[in-house]
Amino acid sequence: MATGRINRAAYLFILPTFAALIGLKYYPAASAVYHSFFQWDGATVGRFVGLANYVQLFRDEIIHVSAINIVKFIIGRVALNLVFPLLAAKLVFHVRHQGAAYLYRVLLTAPIVVPVMVILLLWKFIYHPYDGLLNQLLEAVGLGAWRRAWLGDFETALYAVIGLGFPWVTGIGSAGFAFLIYLGGLQSIPREIFDAAAVDGAVSLRRFFRVELPMIASQLKLILILTVINTMESYVPVMVMTGGGPGVSSMVPGLYLYESAFLYDKFGYASAIGVVMTIILLIVTTISQRSIKSYSEAEP
Amino acid sequence: MRSLTLANRWDAGQIALHVLLILLVVLSLYPMFFTLITSVKDIHQFYHSYFSITYPFHWGNYGEAWDAIGGYVINTLVVAAAAVVIIVAFAALSAYAFARFSFFGKEVLFMALLALIMIPDMITLVPTFLLLRDLGLLDSLVSLVAVYVSSGQVVSIFILRQFFASIPTELVDAARIDGASETQVLTRVVLPLSKSILLTVAIMNVLMIWNDYIWPLVTLSNSRLWTISLGLVGFSERFAGMAAWGPLFAGYVIASIPLIAFISISMRSFISDLTSGALKA
Repeated sequence: MATGRINRAAYLFILPTFAALIGLKYYPAASAVYHSFFQWDGATVGRFVGLANYVQLFRDEIIHVSAINIVKFIIGRVALNLVFPLLAAKLVFHVRHQGAAYLYRVLLTAPIVVPVMVILLLWKFIYHPYDGLLNQLLEAVGLGAWRRAWLGDFETALYAVIGLGFPWVTGIGSAGFAFLIYLGGLQSIPREIFDAAAVDGAVSLRRFFRVELPMIASQLKLILILTVINTMESYVPVMVMTGGGPGVSSMVPGLYLYESAFLYDKFGYASAIGVVMTIILLIVTTISQRSIKSYSEAEP
Repeated sequence: MRSLTLANRWDAGQIALHVLLILLVVLSLYPMFFTLITSVKDIHQFYHSYFSITYPFHWGNYGEAWDAIGGYVINTLVVAAAAVVIIVAFAALSAYAFARFSFFGKEVLFMALLALIMIPDMITLVPTFLLLRDLGLLDSLVSLVAVYVSSGQVVSIFILRQFFASIPTELVDAARIDGASETQVLTRVVLPLSKSILLTVAIMNVLMIWNDYIWPLVTLSNSRLWTISLGLVGFSERFAGMAAWGPLFAGYVIASIPLIAFISISMRSFISDLTSGALKA
């Protein structure tokens, strides 16, 4: 009898959540898959075209450019997100003065509270061809010849967007937590392990690779997966800073999806892009989760 | 002798650490410093003393910026407050059910939640837009709140469920023996113990909402309803086009203040939750 009462309460408890999710998550996701088989301008039901959207997608030049760009984006962001916050966390972890360590932690975390859009627009200003900080700085140190329209140049636009946020300790938005998560991981390593390593005479660099890195493998894994997922999905930085330009040189899949739907009314095609992106996301996440697991298990 | 040189070497190491860290802090915070000093410059000061602090401060820039973006800030505050309260309420109820109750279909429903982590906004963007359009709900802050409520659920539920499951069963059972109903157990026993984690979840969602650009972009065409991320882009183009850098940067400061104020009030518990391993793969 008691369990019966609990059962009924449980459904009531989860009802609001699932009502919201069915209307605004499950239904739209199913609708996207369904409509990816239609030529659909969003006004009428549309014409069933089978796999035509998908076939077109693989032939689309802009998709090719976007795919290459997003791979560069992921490699760049993973490198920056994994290395610089970890470096900073390790430095803070080894500061002996506790007050100073706390202060560094707060100061390096502080940029998280700056809205993402402010940071993006700030970096758009930094790259501004005339009044921007980067060109002004180059001019001031006598490297005026290196000045360029960083976001308007075919050679640099994509890399300028990838590289925003220097010195990359506090990432943009949710990536800003990498530093704190690494630091938390380092701080939760049991003292005895360090003592044992010290007795063994493990020097700093070796200790880092042999002791600290394996001990924070789960944090690294978390940051890696989050960074890959977030970067694959992210297109707002490109949208705001370059609009995918010049030409389509900095186009990414998410922005192309947005433009297909909201600029050209190709809702079926946009849905197909979304479906393919979701599938790739699933595959990448599964693989990265597996490979990291086997790596950390292989370590003694 | 030996220990002395060892100590010295340690100190040299510590000094190197501090030098590196100070460099990282300065580089990380420099854009914010530049924003602050530029926000009180007029156009003449901007072009003639680009890198330095200039006097007098032109506080009028802030008035000019507020006139342009104040409405967006207020819209965002309203949306964020409404959405976060609803997100936390819904998520707490679900998380409690998944942490504490046994019921038919629990595993399947939880897997269904888990699956949503793999469903990016990208795939739901178009159908959600069309759904809201067909229901006549575009250009409404209520729809925006509804979208955020659905987006904020999953991660919030995961975090809260983990915490609720860690509360000792004895506490809950004691309340039940005293005759408390399930709702009373939740509101009188569990939630008061969970203040800090609830705050953490609230902060994460405030950040998500304050930083979102895409949902207001596709659902709100009436600029009076725009939220801050969307409003800032238009504002930035307009003022940068006029080289009105002072008011522009003042606008960036204004757009940041509510978020900074809210989070710095609650940052201490937030950081300790993050670093204590509440979030781990």
